[in-house]
Amino acid sequence: MEIGVYWGCMILTSQYAYEMSLREVLPKFDISIIDIDQVSCCGTPIKNVNQKAAIYLAVRNLALAEKIGIDELLVPCNGCYLSFSEALHYWKKDDILKRELGSLLAEEGLEFNGNIKLWHTVDFLHDKIGVEKIKAAVKKSLNRLKFVTHPGCHILRPSTIVNVDDPEKPRKLDNLLKALGAESIDYPEKLDCCGGGLLLSHSESALTIAGLKLKAIKSLNVDGLVVSCPSCKIMLGAKQEAVGAIVGEKFGIPVLYYTQLLGLALGIEEEKLGLHLNQSPVEKIIEKLT
Amino acid sequence: MTVVDLMSEAKMNVELRSKAIEKGRYELYNCFQCMRCTSGCTSMKLLELKPHQIVTMVKLGLIDELITSGIIWTCAMCLKCTERCPQDAAPSDLITVLRNLAFDMEANVPEAYLKVVSTVLEVGLIQEEQKVTSRDFEIYDRKELNLPKISKPGEIFKNNLLILLTPEED
Repeated sequence: MEIGVYWGCMILTSQYAYEMSLREVLPKFDISIIDIDQVSCCGTPIKNVNQKAAIYLAVRNLALAEKIGIDELLVPCNGCYLSFSEALHYWKKDDILKRELGSLLAEEGLEFNGNIKLWHTVDFLHDKIGVEKIKAAVKKSLNRLKFVTHPGCHILRPSTIVNVDDPEKPRKLDNLLKALGAESIDYPEKLDCCGGGLLLSHSESALTIAGLKLKAIKSLNVDGLVVSCPSCKIMLGAKQEAVGAIVGEKFGIPVLYYTQLLGLALGIEEEKLGLHLNQSPVEKIIEKLT
Repeated sequence: MTVVDLMSEAKMNVELRSKAIEKGRYELYNCFQCMRCTSGCTSMKLLELKPHQIVTMVKLGLIDELITSGIIWTCAMCLKCTERCPQDAAPSDLITVLRNLAFDMEANVPEAYLKVVSTVLEVGLIQEEQKVTSRDFEIYDRKELNLPKISKPGEIFKNNLLILLTPEED
């Protein structure tokens, strides 16, 4: 099958490992990616200053996808996924909004019908491809590894809008990890936010929030932390040293995208999965695998 | 960070309250102060954000105090409050509405938020393509990683966004 992908600003401009690993793993399940031209920011940061403008950004991106015949769209970033899901929700129930934004879209020759199905990576892998199919595709089991997961706020809440199994006890990412042979252990801080949403206004508090989560994870003695959102990955991975300096701890916790681990289990080379770009010490994981 | 001095004589601003409610949701009147929102709030411990207070202050029409205090910018938007609210009052949605009002009234919006807005207007994205450094200090761009070129939106998009961001005249 073919699937459209809206990557979003963070992945397109800096979180390349997420894009690389997705582009590597999807073809292994006979899925080819369609890229969309002329997309913009999803609307998330704009929502803070003007909600209507944010919805315009979201539906414009979705209209660009519809225009090239995409009816199922993969949105790998949690923030973008919520932004689009919310916009779709409002679009369907607000005719005034439809008219007003519809006329702005028409200026670019765009039209939005609202018939697009949105998938976040976790939901797509879990619900569409399926755990069994993933299990069957594994070439190199990760059975010596023990992880914790951090699904990230915006694929869990609000549960009325996103496609979550249980907002207080989400299992999808854990099920996906187990499919690779790895162990996924529960911990009380699993639902705690990475702090990313505060980075613009209160950066020190944002890093402290990430630090409290990393401290809890460190005490569990796991091999690493698995994420599925570029913003969470930056807070808990790339900024790990800065976070450590603020809360007075040396973490050294490998943080990876699930798609990178999936790629390793499918036998894809590390470099193709962007593992050299992770700022946290992921070599610990690779050493354990060989 | 405190929202308002409770010994002060803050007066309700009925007009702003209707504006906030018109943009947001009427369900905030269902709030019975169970404080589930505050007890699970990501920003409560470090920044003293208390969502249940914000709901009550909006009910009382103390909107000026809220949008100038800076407290509305302490929310991490983790959305736990909205998920857990038994009355559908959705405190995080209310905070978004208050942030939007603060932007319209040019009241105390943190500089970094305004900067992101101007970058999106200029570039279409939150930032230009970055070069990244690997763990062994090699520098890469998209091309060197075999990733396709980024295609950005054009002028019509920028004009439309600017129109939407310009506050409506009353």
